Amino acid sequence: MTTATELPSLHESVAYVRQSGKPTAAEVLREARTAGRLALQPRCGVGSHPQMSTLLRDIEQHAAPDVLSVTIDAHTRLGRFDHARSVLDRNPADLNGYPLVTHGWRRGRELNEAVRAPLEIRHGSPDARVLFRTAVAAGITSFEGGGISYNLPYSKDVPLRRSLAAWREVDAACGELAELGLVVDRELFGTLTAVLMPPSVSLAVSVLEAVAAAREGVRCISVAYPQGGHAEQDVAALRAIPLLAARHLPAGVEVHPVLHEFMGVYPRERAHAEDLILYGALVARYGGATKLITKTYQEAYGIPDTRAIIDGLHLAARANSPLLAGWRLDEARIAEELEWILAEVDALVTPVLDSGLGLYDAIAAAFADGTLDIPFSASRHARSAVIPGRAEDGAIRILSAGALPLPRALRDRNTDALRTRPTDLYEALTKDIDHFPRLFGE
Amino acid sequence: MHRRTVILGVAASDSHAVANQLIAHTLRARGFQVVNLGTCTTVEEFAAAHRGHPDAEAVLIGSLNGHAYEDLRDLPAARARGLLGCPVIVGGNLSVGSHKQSADIERLYALGVHRVLGDAADLPAVLDELAARTSAGAA
Repeated sequence: MTTATELPSLHESVAYVRQSGKPTAAEVLREARTAGRLALQPRCGVGSHPQMSTLLRDIEQHAAPDVLSVTIDAHTRLGRFDHARSVLDRNPADLNGYPLVTHGWRRGRELNEAVRAPLEIRHGSPDARVLFRTAVAAGITSFEGGGISYNLPYSKDVPLRRSLAAWREVDAACGELAELGLVVDRELFGTLTAVLMPPSVSLAVSVLEAVAAAREGVRCISVAYPQGGHAEQDVAALRAIPLLAARHLPAGVEVHPVLHEFMGVYPRERAHAEDLILYGALVARYGGATKLITKTYQEAYGIPDTRAIIDGLHLAARANSPLLAGWRLDEARIAEELEWILAEVDALVTPVLDSGLGLYDAIAAAFADGTLDIPFSASRHARSAVIPGRAEDGAIRILSAGALPLPRALRDRNTDALRTRPTDLYEALTKDIDHFPRLFGE
Repeated sequence: MHRRTVILGVAASDSHAVANQLIAHTLRARGFQVVNLGTCTTVEEFAAAHRGHPDAEAVLIGSLNGHAYEDLRDLPAARARGLLGCPVIVGGNLSVGSHKQSADIERLYALGVHRVLGDAADLPAVLDELAARTSAGAA
């Protein structure tokens, strides 16, 4: 007998998933890849339990995505469980996601049982141990995050050593669950701070998190990459993921490229937003992504309503049309981008992997001295000396590499591409960030 | 000459850093001293910064995750303790959902927020207006 606060054992949770008859997220992803079909998943999460159940059911009934999300509220992400509780008691609609820890694992199981699609927990927790244990107890088979990617964009002052150690426990628990016969899909949040993210910075962080996860026994890793807005560059970044996995991960680990539809400033007009949604879905297909995380035409206004989520899924599903089978992008451009991306990632991860320190210490040390870095960090534990920019052709390049150990030729190629930008840095960044609304003349 | 000072930060449960960094730069370029507390800043931290910079004209709080009200609920208590005696300006995406209501804004005013901004570009003008009003009041 277990109470709401007392969690069932991992054995019991594995048995629950088996007897539920639901496929796991890992099984759904494998099936989509085998079928050559892009799997779709929306973001969704509201505070109230009954409304969350209704939301999941409505989306499944009208759009049948392959995986459904339980997006967690910001208080729970930061471990502010008392705040999540007080807002939930006062007005659940004030929460920007579902407070799973506060609702408890039994209600999590109710959500799981409300729909056929497997669920993924999407959040932003530097320390997700309590949330993870609750999710596993709820029979949820996919869990997003990592010790770098859920620290630096999501908190101000959590040392990397602490977040890496917390996520090591999550990964080790996934290893234990795999031994018990349940493979949990671990999605790495390569989107990071989501704005003008250079592909190599995103992929380098994911490589390091993937190596860490695989060492702890994680068997299914989804590597998420954020759509930057330049088709060939984005396709090349997605195609780099299986190549990097082959180079850095053991053979038994299944790796799925995932595209996050554009995460930056969205156009406000519905038609323009929908153009961008379709564009992202096409990039995912041509890049060989296993899964696409969708956006909606309400992105510019806040958290979308159910109708918009459903419409966003229907639109993204057009990328699976057989009519597109013969269409090709510029393969020579893609090959060129791919070569540069792989060279940059190699330059970033090799010193860390070969440092002779333990992997976690090497990562923390590299961020401390800026040889690993991300733009626009929310955290003090990355320098954010790396400054990106958008080139004339729309590709994202590195204007200032800070202390990143990029060889001269790679630095020059980046800065050369940004020659024509405004000289005032913040004028240039504002323009680059507003790229899509500007492109549509909004 | 006296350097104008503002305290800037993102609300307690919110980690959106990009706009915060751009606003800090824009105000510095206009000659302000910006004490930027960055992301995930509690009312307590804003109050401590104000104690350290009592000459600050205003505290500017960004909130993009919809949690502005909950994150600022300690503001009246802080004021009751004599803290944060300067204007508090809030801007961003201030409530959950994509259909906003005037009640979302009104309840922020009820907490003691002086001004709710729809566009960060309005900040310099609003700061000038508040400063003019303060000096007129002092005269």
